[in-house]
Amino acid sequence: MSLTSRWEDFKTGMRPRLSEWRFMLKRMRQSNLAMAGLIIILCFIGIACLAPVLAPPPASNRGDPWIIPQDQTYLKMIGPNVPTPPTVQHVFGTTYYQYDIYYGCIWGTITAFRVGLTVVGISLIAGVIIGTIAAFYGGVIDEILMRFTDIILAFPGLVLSMAIVLAFPEAIPLNLSELFLGISAFFVLIFLGLKRDRTGAIWVAGFSVILVFSVLTYLYHPLILALNIGKLDKVLIALTLVSWPSYARLIRGEVLRVKNEDFVEASKASGSSDFRTITRHILPNSIYPVFIVATLDIGSVILTAAALAFIGIGSPPYFPDWGQIVSNSESVITNGVAIVHNFYTFFIPGMFIAMFVVGWNLLGDALRDVLDPMLRRR
Amino acid sequence: MLVFVLVGVTILVFIVTMLFPIDTRALLYVHGNIHDVPKAIADAIVKYNLKAPFYVQYWGWLSQLLHGNLGWSITSNQMVITSIATKWPYTFEIVLFAAPLIIFIGIYLGVQSAIHRNGPIDQVSRLLSIVGWSLPSFFVGLLLLAVFAGVLHWFPYGGSMTMSWTTFMGNPKNHFVHYTGVDLIDGLLNGRPALTLDVIWHCVLPVITVVTIDVALLIRVMRSSMLETMSKPYITTARAKGLSNKVVIYKHARRNALIPVATLSGMLVAGLLTGLIITETVFGFGGLGQQVVRAIENLDIPFIMAYTVLTALLFVIANLIVDIMYAYIDPRIRLD
Repeated sequence: MSLTSRWEDFKTGMRPRLSEWRFMLKRMRQSNLAMAGLIIILCFIGIACLAPVLAPPPASNRGDPWIIPQDQTYLKMIGPNVPTPPTVQHVFGTTYYQYDIYYGCIWGTITAFRVGLTVVGISLIAGVIIGTIAAFYGGVIDEILMRFTDIILAFPGLVLSMAIVLAFPEAIPLNLSELFLGISAFFVLIFLGLKRDRTGAIWVAGFSVILVFSVLTYLYHPLILALNIGKLDKVLIALTLVSWPSYARLIRGEVLRVKNEDFVEASKASGSSDFRTITRHILPNSIYPVFIVATLDIGSVILTAAALAFIGIGSPPYFPDWGQIVSNSESVITNGVAIVHNFYTFFIPGMFIAMFVVGWNLLGDALRDVLDPMLRRR
Repeated sequence: MLVFVLVGVTILVFIVTMLFPIDTRALLYVHGNIHDVPKAIADAIVKYNLKAPFYVQYWGWLSQLLHGNLGWSITSNQMVITSIATKWPYTFEIVLFAAPLIIFIGIYLGVQSAIHRNGPIDQVSRLLSIVGWSLPSFFVGLLLLAVFAGVLHWFPYGGSMTMSWTTFMGNPKNHFVHYTGVDLIDGLLNGRPALTLDVIWHCVLPVITVVTIDVALLIRVMRSSMLETMSKPYITTARAKGLSNKVVIYKHARRNALIPVATLSGMLVAGLLTGLIITETVFGFGGLGQQVVRAIENLDIPFIMAYTVLTALLFVIANLIVDIMYAYIDPRIRLD
């Protein structure tokens, strides 16, 4: 088949999908709430992009933007234990250790995007892969993978991520040989259990080579990589470990619904590989609910991260992170009368968190109305 | 299936505990009143074979767990299990008010906004649920504290009861008996309704915080479930039979729409009972949730691990109860 005819094929194949997208965009534009959400998110993207202009990192921190400037004059005059109200110099005031709230809020936007997108992105990919494999192949693989998600889902997210953050060491010696050994053994087992055709054999052979190689390196000279894990990275890891099972569950249900449809049978009968059947026929028909949940989840991941920061296991005090800014002044604001005087220390970063989450939730809510075939054409 | 999850939960928690240094882990095994902590740790390492491989240690830990020994908590200076038992009643006081409010408001607003779809009630309750779902709970709590305690002085700044009642209860001359450990009920049982009122007064703001946050999800689920049910053929049939709108909505639709809400409510109540970590910290309520935060601040690992395992167990049990409850709500399941 020549390249041009393939391209023509692709275009005709894509036509219904394109019109589908156009329909969705039209529906999105009609909904006020969706547009409000989109505008909020765009504002935050703007803040994140313009952060170096809006709040230039001071020279005193040697240009490191991830340290909130600390007001040294206040520190000498007032001491660290009293937050100072907004002035011209500090538009939003300063926190408990005289960290500038304005700077923290602006740069915290980048942190928020980083936390939300990383956690949701990685857990979405992991969840979709695991859930699809479980549903498509069924049997023992399904049992094992789903029981594993059951176990993680038995915990409240905040509690398990709390325990993981606390337990995770600052630096881990990552044994690469061990890691490759584990991964390749997993895939060899999986592909052995699958359809035993030519592609399957190639995969098994490929992973077996890696397996043998990693066994050899493991025995003779383990490759060990010392990884330094920052406080925020720990939060990211914990939240990812906690949130992938819900995606796996969701996509599994959707794939189970689709996998016995006629078009899947047709694809299998015409000799497509499992990989092609899954990526071209099953996933496009089952992935939308996952996207809706993912959009809504970005908000709730930020909330959990903020809650972790508030109870004192987030990033270090100087780090620009919204939850951490509130947490810095926690001992003052939860202590009676002072809460009124120190209103700004929790209200401003709190509003940033709330607006960010509202934006994603409005968008996710609208996406649900647009993408959910049960609700939309009414 | 249930057993599998329970065993899995303990294995997972054990893996997490194995990440801690050996001295910290030793505290998990210590029991009885200890005075010399370093010596107790050294003894525990030898006695429970803490240098052995993973699977050997797991059995030792599990048998301790099954005997109800969850280790020694440094922060509360007592056994973890005793510490949890003394802190839990405070959490229970909040949940006692919050849980029914959440369930009733959630179901009511969900149904109303579904039957008046796109009407003013729907718009307002949708906005409320989105905003409630988007606010960090510490933000709501602190805001309420600032407005209602700081500015208006209607409610106290926090705590679970006025200081004078704490001293009153502590004084042996007053013969205050802790029948249940829940001050709210003990006040009535001791013939001190003023104490009960005082506790309720302290509960108001935490309860509002919890309700604002948690009712949002219930409204959303109830609304979408109700909308789905309303489009079912049997609703059309019911209308065609000439039944009144009220009967169709409340007898036919709502009852069927409640099924997914039941699961959610079960998990919600289980979640509330395991401690309101943020809310209790903001209001200094002194329940299980606040104790957890204190444990985190002082790296009291045995308490945190015990708490983690207990919450998971409670969730699994709540799931089981919800499954049983289904049979009452949904007659189709009983027939199977």
